[in-house]
Amino acid sequence: METLFGITGKDFVIAAYDTKAVASITMMKIGEDKSRNLNDHSVMLYSGEPGDGVHFAEYIERNVKLNGIRHGLEMSPKAVASFARRELADSLRSRKPYSVNLLIAGYDVKKDTPALYWMDHLASSAEVPFAAHGYGAYYCLSMMDRYHRPDITEEEGIKLLKMCINELRTRMILNMPDFVAKVVTKEGIRVVQL
Amino acid sequence: MSRRYDSRTTIFSPEGRLYQVEYAMEAISHASTALGILSKEGVVIAAEKKVASKLLDQTTGGEKVYIINDNMICGVAGITSDANILIDYVQRSAQQYLYTFNEDMPCEQLVQKLCDLKQGYTQYGGLRPFGVSFIYAGWDEHYGFQLYHSDPSGNYSGWKATCIGANTAAAQGILRQEYKDEGLTLQEAKNLAIKVLSKTMDTTALGPDKLEFATLEIKDGRVIRRIFSTNEIEALLKENDLLSKTDEAKQ
Amino acid sequence: MEYNGGAVVAMVGKNCVAIACDKRLGVQAMTISTEFKKIFQATPKTYLGLPGLATDVQTLAEKFRFKINMYKLKEEREIEPRTLAHLVSSTLYERRFGPWFTEPVVAGLDKNNNPFICNTDTIGCINFAKDFVVSGTSTNQLYGMCESLWEPDLEPEDLFETISQALMNAVDRDCLAGWGAEVVVITPDKIITRTLKSRMD
Repeated sequence: METLFGITGKDFVIAAYDTKAVASITMMKIGEDKSRNLNDHSVMLYSGEPGDGVHFAEYIERNVKLNGIRHGLEMSPKAVASFARRELADSLRSRKPYSVNLLIAGYDVKKDTPALYWMDHLASSAEVPFAAHGYGAYYCLSMMDRYHRPDITEEEGIKLLKMCINELRTRMILNMPDFVAKVVTKEGIRVVQL
Repeated sequence: MSRRYDSRTTIFSPEGRLYQVEYAMEAISHASTALGILSKEGVVIAAEKKVASKLLDQTTGGEKVYIINDNMICGVAGITSDANILIDYVQRSAQQYLYTFNEDMPCEQLVQKLCDLKQGYTQYGGLRPFGVSFIYAGWDEHYGFQLYHSDPSGNYSGWKATCIGANTAAAQGILRQEYKDEGLTLQEAKNLAIKVLSKTMDTTALGPDKLEFATLEIKDGRVIRRIFSTNEIEALLKENDLLSKTDEAKQ
Repeated sequence: MEYNGGAVVAMVGKNCVAIACDKRLGVQAMTISTEFKKIFQATPKTYLGLPGLATDVQTLAEKFRFKINMYKLKEEREIEPRTLAHLVSSTLYERRFGPWFTEPVVAGLDKNNNPFICNTDTIGCINFAKDFVVSGTSTNQLYGMCESLWEPDLEPEDLFETISQALMNAVDRDCLAGWGAEVVVITPDKIITRTLKSRMD
């Protein structure tokens, strides 16, 4: 139902989400924010069980922020992703696991590289050049396979995202209204309407 | 009824002092010396090893210098059994951090973690504080090479060169005199460490069996921790012409 | 096992051992990553292979890193492969009634440079072997390949060729494994790590 995308390039990561809020087969709202900025250089997108996503993402967000305040150091995207994975993996074997899929997009300021982490509701995580969650993944991963290069520019990245969204609007039976993208670079995070 | 107040050993005296903590620091000032020196290319930790008897089994590892993480080592002065508990605690903490974040724990965080534990024992009644001071040498990607010192009260601070245990005043005097403002090379730091120990140790004869020595440096982006063997310490002493006469006679 | 896919194999040679894995991470039929490694260095001469459910692969790799590092700090020496095998076994058996979904493989040289390989099931029952062990979604194919290719006392380079051919041909007949492979040959004086290109379909 819900779709998340992520694409890395030479000096940026784009993470995009559809803005539908869905309850069962009914669309409740357009304009839902499915992202949380964890610190100045990492953003987390989530999809899955409605309440779980917000709760888990904000829990991670607060902990990452607290860590930054306590120690005066910004956590790297790798540390953020590892921490989120740890929490999700521990929850998986608890009485009531979170049911959320995540994309964590970040820019590692120390290493000067972009980073994108794919993580599913079982807390399997992988660092990838591009990724997608939801039914949209079945259509778009092949698209990204074909058109993605490690050195694409931001404009090309946005163009690729638009191609993916177009494909969904033509082929998928589900209604795909608007998408929002967050671009992470060395300078920080900014929002792009698609 | 009075036991309610007696059993709490860590309360302020009317002059505003914590006697138990001060006694703990006193205990440390009788322990053998350990010192650390920061250089541009790495950190040195050196310690005096007191050999109680020649019958003592020396095959097990040292008891003054410990590895606490891939990027950190430390020197100890005080009650060894207390130190063992704390070292196990920091080693575990560092591994727990690696387990959660897949990165080495930043040095200051690790020092802080241990100091939080030490602080607890100056406040919660009925227990005595840990009778141990530490010197930590480490490297992390945030602040590069670092040298820290912590005491039983749970205070910690960063240093260019410092010393714990017996004769600290004398040792710190020499360090203050000899430490150059622009920093030292690792070799200079090693030589200085040996020199300070040779001048402050109670024993007249300096031998490789009376020292523990370790360095921490960076090669190809990886932290290299080196704990010196007896032979390596002997070579270092020879370089500095400090091998005692009796030791040379033995060879 | 079948949710994420993946295969690991280990073989004994003459004074050497080899361990290899594929690099696919999938969610059923959909491939997510082709850089997902399933073998981990435990000590300078021992590797641990963890095929199975990806989340447990990662959790266990982190858990074992913790335990192996603590062992090294406390014992002031590296853990022996046989000891590691028992550590793996007891760690898995702790979850006897809610297991980690992975079947680990241990391969390494002990302190006398004698080869050691073994694998366990999901609850830590150890299977010691003198020739080869296989694990993951391609076990049937791997058994066939190893049974026909492996011979005793292979030199490191021959062992590399044998294990590579066994793994590559096995995963080509398994739609859940493949997409590149990594092979490690452990000899007394060096470790040879090679990444293999293979069919990407």
